[in-house]
Amino acid sequence: MAKVTINGIEVDVDPSMTILKAAEKAGIPVPTFCYHPRMDPAGSCRICAVELEDSKKVVMSCVTPVADGMRVLTESPKIHEARKTNLELLLLHHPLDCPVCDCGGECPLQNMSFAYGATESRFESHRNDEPEDMKSDVLVFNANRCILCGKCVRICDEVQDVHAIGFINRGFDTIIGPPLGKKLDCEFCGDCLEVCPTGAITDHFVRYKYRPWQLEKQQTTCSYCPSGCQMFVETENEAIVRVTSQEGVGPNEGSICVVGRFGFNHVQIPERFDTPYMRSLHRLVPSSWEEVLPEIASGLNAIRKKGVDRIAGLISTRVPMEDAYVFQSFFRKILHSNMIDTGARYSFMNAALPIVAATGTLRPLVDHEDILKAKVILVVGADPVSESNITGLFVKRAARKERSRLYVVDSEAISLSSRAKDHIRVLPGGEQIFLEVLSEEIRQSGNLGAEWISRKEELFKNWNVDPSAYQRLLADLRSCETGIIVAGRKLFQLETPVAGVESLLKITGDLGWIDRPGCGLFVLPEASNDLGVLMMGASHEWLPGLMDSRDPASRGRWEETWGSRLAYGPGGGLEEILKGIDEGKINALISLGENPIGHFPPGSRVREILSKLDMIVSIDMFQNELSDMAHFVLPASSAYERSGHLVSAEGFVQAIKPTMAYWGESLPDWQILDRLSHAMGSPMGVDSAESVMSEILRFLPDLAPSSRNGSHFVGGTGEIRLATPVASADGCAYGEMVHEGNGLSTKFVSPAHKANRESVSSRYAQWREGIKEEPASPYRSIAGEGEFVLELTKSLFHSGKMTLMDSNLKKIQPEGKLRINRQTARKRKIKKGERVSLRTAYGVCSFIVEPSPAVSEFELTFPVHFANAEVLALFAPGLDFSSGTGAPVTHRIRVSLDSQNAN
Amino acid sequence: MTFKSLMNSILFTEIAQGLKVTFRHFFKKKLTVQYPHEKLTLADGYRGFIVHRRYDNGQERCVGCDLCEAICPAKAIRVVGDIHPEFPERRYAKEYTLDFTRCIFCGFCVVACPVNALSMTKEFAHSSFTREGLIYPKDKLLALGDRCEDESIAYLKVRNMWDAEDSGKEEGRYHFPPIPTT
Repeated sequence: MAKVTINGIEVDVDPSMTILKAAEKAGIPVPTFCYHPRMDPAGSCRICAVELEDSKKVVMSCVTPVADGMRVLTESPKIHEARKTNLELLLLHHPLDCPVCDCGGECPLQNMSFAYGATESRFESHRNDEPEDMKSDVLVFNANRCILCGKCVRICDEVQDVHAIGFINRGFDTIIGPPLGKKLDCEFCGDCLEVCPTGAITDHFVRYKYRPWQLEKQQTTCSYCPSGCQMFVETENEAIVRVTSQEGVGPNEGSICVVGRFGFNHVQIPERFDTPYMRSLHRLVPSSWEEVLPEIASGLNAIRKKGVDRIAGLISTRVPMEDAYVFQSFFRKILHSNMIDTGARYSFMNAALPIVAATGTLRPLVDHEDILKAKVILVVGADPVSESNITGLFVKRAARKERSRLYVVDSEAISLSSRAKDHIRVLPGGEQIFLEVLSEEIRQSGNLGAEWISRKEELFKNWNVDPSAYQRLLADLRSCETGIIVAGRKLFQLETPVAGVESLLKITGDLGWIDRPGCGLFVLPEASNDLGVLMMGASHEWLPGLMDSRDPASRGRWEETWGSRLAYGPGGGLEEILKGIDEGKINALISLGENPIGHFPPGSRVREILSKLDMIVSIDMFQNELSDMAHFVLPASSAYERSGHLVSAEGFVQAIKPTMAYWGESLPDWQILDRLSHAMGSPMGVDSAESVMSEILRFLPDLAPSSRNGSHFVGGTGEIRLATPVASADGCAYGEMVHEGNGLSTKFVSPAHKANRESVSSRYAQWREGIKEEPASPYRSIAGEGEFVLELTKSLFHSGKMTLMDSNLKKIQPEGKLRINRQTARKRKIKKGERVSLRTAYGVCSFIVEPSPAVSEFELTFPVHFANAEVLALFAPGLDFSSGTGAPVTHRIRVSLDSQNAN
Repeated sequence: MTFKSLMNSILFTEIAQGLKVTFRHFFKKKLTVQYPHEKLTLADGYRGFIVHRRYDNGQERCVGCDLCEAICPAKAIRVVGDIHPEFPERRYAKEYTLDFTRCIFCGFCVVACPVNALSMTKEFAHSSFTREGLIYPKDKLLALGDRCEDESIAYLKVRNMWDAEDSGKEEGRYHFPPIPTT
């Protein structure tokens, strides 16, 4: 330890620390422009100058390591003069356009100029007059305002690992921008926008539309993907103006992806339902709550009398836990029905069911911090960057900065592939075979028969797997201290996804990872609250707390809790709901933000089946196929308007807060159901979302709100301070503050968010015994000559179908394009932007083509968000459900491609 | 009672003394102005109605920076900034509302304006039958500014806010995207 005296305060610090960090520990703010706690120091802005008392030298505190006995002054006449001169030099070329600059009012350079009074310049120079770079649809680069601190370039390189912008030219002509004067083409995460200390980077969407001092800030949790990012929604007059992040706040540590940062506009467009609608004479007419609720209530009461399981319910997995809890208790207590299901059924349920069977919990064993520490990371069937962006960032950081060995098993090149030690490219759908072989080989641990080995070789040859890469992966998995497997959406949508997830669980167990801290399986759910909604028992299998709904003991426990008899029937999921409606056993459907019609090919009879219902109530934000045939359409509030809690992929329970008033007459889902129960004459008596949460916490105390904050930095640039968050400063109390050592540093202790390894371990052992070993199933979906496998993938720029309504995100990605391998496109003479038509046995659809080197030559990919009825018509019509999980089976379809020269 | 005091009371001397000022003013020039038939000449620094100004080429000066809104102690000003419809690199006030029912004519907004887009005139008698009539949108403020251009320039000159405008010096001036000369 080195002893350093800073402004007379003595601190003991690690000798590897810089003076800036030591000053932070001593509680002395040092102004900075180019320093950023998540990146390597650059020492380019020269504002963090400090004086060494002994040698009288001025050094840059952000790049100078401390030495034992060092005496430092952060404020002295010499330092003042040095910083002032530096500011004069910075302002030499900086335009004085603060009144029209979007950064004016929150600008560190402005604050510093005020603090140091650099009003006059002793130097003569011209002002730069570069025109702004407006080529990009998202960001605007203003080279004149840039002070070349390089933060944007470094965050793009070091944190995002995208390398989209850089320094162009040298000397006085240096500017920041995308290379070669091209249009910016990147992930549009907007982190450069966030870190820019001046107004050099602004965005097109809110340019010139606000002044920072007019905005109200509210911390909330992003409700798009399961990363659980903490973001700040800034509003003016109840309208969202922009979304920002704050360095070090939340598990995202200050990064948010493009959807979270720019996808806020769809909640404030006139297309949103603002009043309840009622069907009268085949038309939906605007109505009021007073009129609609008694009508629905009398209808439901009449159906309820006919018996149990007469009313079906569907709920989206983007709603907070509270709404899911009220939803299931409304159905089980009031409507006596267990015919409920969630939006997770379409894919995540394929992973949730085996995982709960094996581990007894949905919370993961590992989190993002463990990813950073892991020595080996295997990403299989997932694209973490587009599915859960922050997980992707952590994997990138682990591979780049922590030198973890990253393996990617995927048919196409995902953005992590370039950082991977080995990208094992399998043919489309081969991930499953790969996992089955891997799990078998790990289980047998060397005792393999010659027959099995020849079979493996044949399989690998068929599925194009590189055997040497496989051997390297196997050796690494066996020998590594800590390892993590990341799996996602693609794996859950294979033809037999349960087998894939089970092999993953077997691999984790057989490698002994269940008992080893820092090792485990990290599964990426699809929507923001898949975990929370399932934990609240919104699907027919489970009661709250993942208890078996058919088990009389757990049923009795909740009956006791709620003080009423739960008279629901056996119930069922989506499959039974559709079957029940078809057979006339179900007469009403209440859908909270779900639209089953949009998930099935048009020939699947879903619309026809649903039209047999006596009553459809659609609680949604926007018009869709279901609301078109609904008898009642009720307006729901968006995640920006209500309060509640979401469970992230890491298991954090984080709060979403209202940032604006309810849109029109819309109400949160729990309130609609509560009012409905009042109108039905059997009130549930829910007062507020907070009371629901306290009820949940009373019985499931492990769901206490928890979060993690990233690296913090207390600097001082005028009044911009990145302060350590204080518990309950704005009511965001996640855990408690614990003072350490001499009281100078405080640590945040949050409730546990990961699964308990001991209980998982005992449960897993039981499950492992019950599993019978089957050899890898013969599984064929290899495309034939001239044929491709069509894959619907998640795009980075959208989340679900809701964001298609968002003007900002639509500007970034206006339409879905069919991605095709570049070589194949060249061979077939298909150019970018041309139209081609795909043909299957069931239909034809035409697409705009975008050749890409990432896609494999056997595959075509199309963003799932844009998969409307025309695209779905390519798939086999019919209602096929998996026998194990009740999830609709997604058949990989082989398509043939006709190039079309028209247009 | 002396003879002197007796004479004083007989001849009403005190009253005559007291009325001396009154009688003197009988013969002086009258100060009363027959408003509205006659009007006073107001000083150049008079803080009357606030107006919007234009550049010589007719381009409106306001850049929608919101500083007047920020400084206004009576919260009489509301500015909504946006991208200029013709020049995408420029900021302008999409909406600018000045509520003269709230305005206390302190003149802070004129001081705050970085581009001398605001000034005060000698207009003071803008009455209205409704409150809404005194809430001025931008076009009304601009029209008033066109009518009272000389007064607004005189105000800025007498309040020492004209220097930066015609000093021709780059230093100390705000540097905005250049305004086209046409």
